[in-house]
Amino acid sequence: MNATRWKLFALNAGLSLVCVATLYPVLWVVKLALSPTQTLSMSANPFPEAITFEHFRDVLGSTDAQGRWLFGRQLLSSLVVSGATTVVGLSLAVTAAYALSRFRFPGKDSGMQLLLVTQMFPATLMLVPLYSLLQLLGLLDSIGGLVLVYATSSLPFCVWMLKGYFDTIPRELEEAALMDGASHWQVFVKIVLPLARPALAVTALFSFMQAWNEFILAATLLNDATRFTLPVALQRYVGEYKTEWGHFAAGALLISAPVMALFFALQRFLVGGLTAGAVKG
Amino acid sequence: MSDVRLVGIKKSFGDNAIVKGVDLEVKAGEFLVMVGPSGCGKTTLLRIIAGLESADSGDVVLSGQRMNDVPPRERDVGMVFQSYALYPHMTVRENLAFGLELRKLPRADIDARVAEAARMLELGPLLDRKPKALSGGQRQRVAMGRVIVRRPKLFLFDEPLSNLDTALRVQMRGELARLHRQLGVTMIYVTHDQVEAMTLASRVAVFNKGVLQQLGAPLELYHRPQNAFVAQFLGSPSMNLLDVRREGAQFIGAGFTLNAVGDATGDVKVGLRPQDLRVSAEGPIRGEVEAVERLGFDGYAFLKTAAGPVAARFEGGDVQVGQSVAVQPTGDVVHVFTADGARALRHPA
Amino acid sequence: MTSFARVLVLLLANVAAAAPLKLWHGYRGGEEEAIERIAKQFTKETGVEVELLAVPYDALSSKLTSAIPHDAGPDVFIFAHERLRQFHRMKIVAPSTTSLDASKYLAPSVTALKLDDEFYGYPLSIKCLALFVREGIAVPTSTDELERTLPSLSAPNTFGIAWEAGDFYFHAPIFMGFGGELFGPDGRAQFDTPAMSRSLSWVKSLQDRQLMPQEVSGALVKTLFNDRRAAMVISGPWFAGEIEPSVQYSVHPLPTVSETGRPMSPFLGVEAAFVSSRTTQPQHAQALAKYLSLGPATVTRVTLGRQIPAELAAYDDPAVAADSLVSAFRTVAQNATPTPNTLEMARVWEPMKLALKAVLQGGVPPAEAGALADRRYRALNRDAPPETSPLPWLIALSLGAIGFIAWRRRKSGNTTFAKRYPEARRGLAYVAPAALGLLVLVVVPFVIGLSLSLFHHDAGEYTFVGAANFVDILTSRGYRITEPLSFYFTLVVTLLWTAANVVLHVGIGLFLAILLKEPLLKLRGVYRVLLIVPWAVPNYITALMWKGMFHRQFGAINAILGELGIEPVSWFTQWSTAFAANVITNTWLGFPFMMVVSLGALQSIPADLYEAAEVDGASKWTQFRRITLPLLRPALLPAMILGSVWTFNMFNIIWLVSGGEPGGGTDILVSEAFRWAFQRNEQYGFAAAYSVLIFCVLFVWSQLTKRISGEESS
Repeated sequence: MNATRWKLFALNAGLSLVCVATLYPVLWVVKLALSPTQTLSMSANPFPEAITFEHFRDVLGSTDAQGRWLFGRQLLSSLVVSGATTVVGLSLAVTAAYALSRFRFPGKDSGMQLLLVTQMFPATLMLVPLYSLLQLLGLLDSIGGLVLVYATSSLPFCVWMLKGYFDTIPRELEEAALMDGASHWQVFVKIVLPLARPALAVTALFSFMQAWNEFILAATLLNDATRFTLPVALQRYVGEYKTEWGHFAAGALLISAPVMALFFALQRFLVGGLTAGAVKG
Repeated sequence: MSDVRLVGIKKSFGDNAIVKGVDLEVKAGEFLVMVGPSGCGKTTLLRIIAGLESADSGDVVLSGQRMNDVPPRERDVGMVFQSYALYPHMTVRENLAFGLELRKLPRADIDARVAEAARMLELGPLLDRKPKALSGGQRQRVAMGRVIVRRPKLFLFDEPLSNLDTALRVQMRGELARLHRQLGVTMIYVTHDQVEAMTLASRVAVFNKGVLQQLGAPLELYHRPQNAFVAQFLGSPSMNLLDVRREGAQFIGAGFTLNAVGDATGDVKVGLRPQDLRVSAEGPIRGEVEAVERLGFDGYAFLKTAAGPVAARFEGGDVQVGQSVAVQPTGDVVHVFTADGARALRHPA
Repeated sequence: MTSFARVLVLLLANVAAAAPLKLWHGYRGGEEEAIERIAKQFTKETGVEVELLAVPYDALSSKLTSAIPHDAGPDVFIFAHERLRQFHRMKIVAPSTTSLDASKYLAPSVTALKLDDEFYGYPLSIKCLALFVREGIAVPTSTDELERTLPSLSAPNTFGIAWEAGDFYFHAPIFMGFGGELFGPDGRAQFDTPAMSRSLSWVKSLQDRQLMPQEVSGALVKTLFNDRRAAMVISGPWFAGEIEPSVQYSVHPLPTVSETGRPMSPFLGVEAAFVSSRTTQPQHAQALAKYLSLGPATVTRVTLGRQIPAELAAYDDPAVAADSLVSAFRTVAQNATPTPNTLEMARVWEPMKLALKAVLQGGVPPAEAGALADRRYRALNRDAPPETSPLPWLIALSLGAIGFIAWRRRKSGNTTFAKRYPEARRGLAYVAPAALGLLVLVVVPFVIGLSLSLFHHDAGEYTFVGAANFVDILTSRGYRITEPLSFYFTLVVTLLWTAANVVLHVGIGLFLAILLKEPLLKLRGVYRVLLIVPWAVPNYITALMWKGMFHRQFGAINAILGELGIEPVSWFTQWSTAFAANVITNTWLGFPFMMVVSLGALQSIPADLYEAAEVDGASKWTQFRRITLPLLRPALLPAMILGSVWTFNMFNIIWLVSGGEPGGGTDILVSEAFRWAFQRNEQYGFAAAYSVLIFCVLFVWSQLTKRISGEESS
């Protein structure tokens, strides 16, 4: 009994320590956001010594030359881009993954290989051709173009994950539904999709986070401050010669808050959604 | 009620021929059991009837209508799967109602039919549970209920009892038989368990290697198997098959002779059901007892003989492993097959 | 009068203004406010709408060079003149010769905008370095004087003078004061000169005597001056805005180098308003650019944005004349040399930075620095490979394609299509939308990216060079194999980086997952949520945060080390510590993923296996080794493979944390490719060749792992 208690104590102590180490950098962001200065300060203490909301006010209240409320528009833009990316990406991925998991058709195996292979080419180097391509399609400097690029670039990962999950759903369930009188599309919508909920949640989360956090493409493709996504706006506080740490941290917190909320809301799906495909063994 | 006719069905997966030309007729209201070892093509055939698989050649005719290119939902067929395939994200009630909702039946009808099926299968208290909260037998009943509510003309069962324990299996067998009587619909039932085949079927179809071996009433198959495979497949323990040569009035085998019956000549196989052999002190075939399966007062002894393993019944007495005993036929019991087992030449009267 | 005439001209030219003029700039704060006010005024006077876009200065140049040729760029943009030659070569700037009145501006600011007898843009402001001296301290006019006064001004943690010595922009005046010439008679950059080593020795001696701080960043300079721990600072006009009001100071020209008698001559940077060559409204655009540079606009920029004006008349404006900073900088600028706007100049920075850091932070003797920089220079500025004919390549490609198709035909054999693929139509319908999207936006750029590797890119022109890029990379032409620029060196670093990360991710993740599995643990949910926090925060935010925490003077890590009584570590001056900093950051970011995967996999192991092992008398360790590990493999292996590919191409962390320091040593293949593409004269072809090699390495790796995991399952 005593040994167990000791063990538990050690376990809790160890895990608490790891948690502290994990949260330390995050606490620093909070500290910087709430401290009145714009600079780092030599200190090991991750808690703010003085608290001010001035940085949040500055970041939230930023306006452009026409007096338009930039933060609000950029928040909206981020939400639209990420939301649309999730919807577009997921609907593309879900059908493709289902087909790859269930049907035999020519080019399937090479298609799967190709999906993986494109992941190995550094994304930043695709920027140059992508730019010309979007111009050709008339999608430069448009939210729609950005959404399409995000949705397609996250497709390979989404498809692989969803396919792995679909593979674990017994075919007999679908056959049973067919016998019950469902069409193939009804089987897909009423049986497969509800059963794949954990994987859908995780995939949606990843698509959303990827679009929400991306800034290199967004900064290159968008030319209108009112349509910038939030990370692009945040980039302004971090210069090569000068970093406004206070503004940066406040902005970082504002940007991270929604994804973190989403992440924690969906985290119970993570374990199942991520591993089901691999564990079926 | 619907009758089923299969004409020259062939199906292969890649280079692997699974069904090699099957012709089969199922009469309306009949309970047909398709039986055979695993890989014999019986499940594939069932799936072809259901429309889940399409035949490479041949026709599927349901109630006189060619159904080859008709999707499953338009065939008016219900199927119970080996794994039950209950929708895990729906309650029992939703599982039962799903097929009816897809057919856009009025709500009241749906509720009435679900209630009726629930009563019939004693599922009432379980209606609002999810499948994972059910026991194996309960799941099995839901799977059946899901088909019943739709009132199809043809029921298909794919080894529905194989995941149940023995006691439940016996019980469910009884319920299935009752259901068939009650509904009076055509049922096709796939199993590898000959006991199910014998107890449930109006007729049994025995398959091996993608070929229909024999079709007939259970006892007909038992007593008059058309070939050695059917003879051995039905009955437990399975029939003893021994190579013999006819010389005059005798069948001469390795280390034994029997009085010849029938008019077969040359090399043949004789078939002796263990039930028709008695362990005794004297008899034509001798051997050493290798194993004993005592069921109570009686049982079976498994002997090693010069002609190969032989099983025989015993009653009472003291049969010990290692003992040297003889077996005695109980009368006119000898089946005779061609030497390759492909054809029966004689059955006991 | 003139402004009236201007308005008239504009009105005549185009009464009904078309689309608003787009003006892109990199200003923040007061400067941004000034430019907004000027734009409004312009609209008021001319009726032409102006749409402003503020882009982070670091990103502005690449945004301009990609947007303008695609007709997606601005009509007018504000940029420093150093890039003019490059802009000109890419044909994105329009000349201003006909409307620029050179006599209105400080002479050097106009010279800076001159290229081959044409002027481009209108000078707005000038920037150069000056000596900021705190009140009450004697202003040194020569290095001898400076060295005499410095010891009395210095004490532990207090310094006589401070500047960002690791940056060549700050070192250039000293270099030139020592008689340095950046370019040889052939016009090419030269590094291995006596002035180089003498100037470096001088700075190093100040640093060694602790008269100036080490590893100085802009933030440190600011803090030291504001805390009165630095008596003098070398910095530019922007520094004035960072000085706290309580600190009194004055601005002076940089001292003369006593050894040569020459004044230290800082670079003069000219910020100018350039007109895009692709503007659809050239007249309005020229008018706007000119308007920005003259009269009331200048006064607004000076008073609001605290710029040092390039316009001469501005200095007579009472509001400007009252600003002592402005007049001081005008004096300072007289010694300044306009930063050459040549292409060659752009090639100087990276080698110089390498040399400076090597001497001041890395312990390389000043005499060797020149050779070091020279080698780096040669490596970076490879000559364009000779153009070759693409014909053999095309023939080989088409033969390959024909062969492949024939092979597929044979392979598919005689089974009919419908029999082989009974669900083909449905399957293809389901994948079609995704396939189309992927084809257009992923596969096409991917193929273009692949083929770019056979070209040489120079200012928008592509020439076919065959395999020359690959040959240069793989033969490590221009640098030794053991140097950071060599492909092999970077490959080894990348592999080390990947291996270290994957091992740590899986090790820590699995360990924590096992701890969290302990059934008696009540707070499991809380721990799990806290431990996945790093996954939820955008990685560029945490990367920047970690970079801040690794800061030599202000970083929390060194603060913690200090509390533990350990000497502060200068993380980014040594390869090992810089690499460690990268790995620590990425480990922090990456372990939650592996933890979650491990948790899921552990859940799938039936508990009765452990019970059986317990009954068999297996120890905990044996259970882990014989049950947990083998059963985790099917789940962990794919995650590890995926993780290794991600880590291999983990650009953000390397770029934001170590930035490749020291001297490119911690760059991995992707960041190296990025440098070739976007920092070294846009050598897209060379960068694409790097990418193809990255791709090949990963492809081989994936085939290898496929075989490993395939063997396992069979």
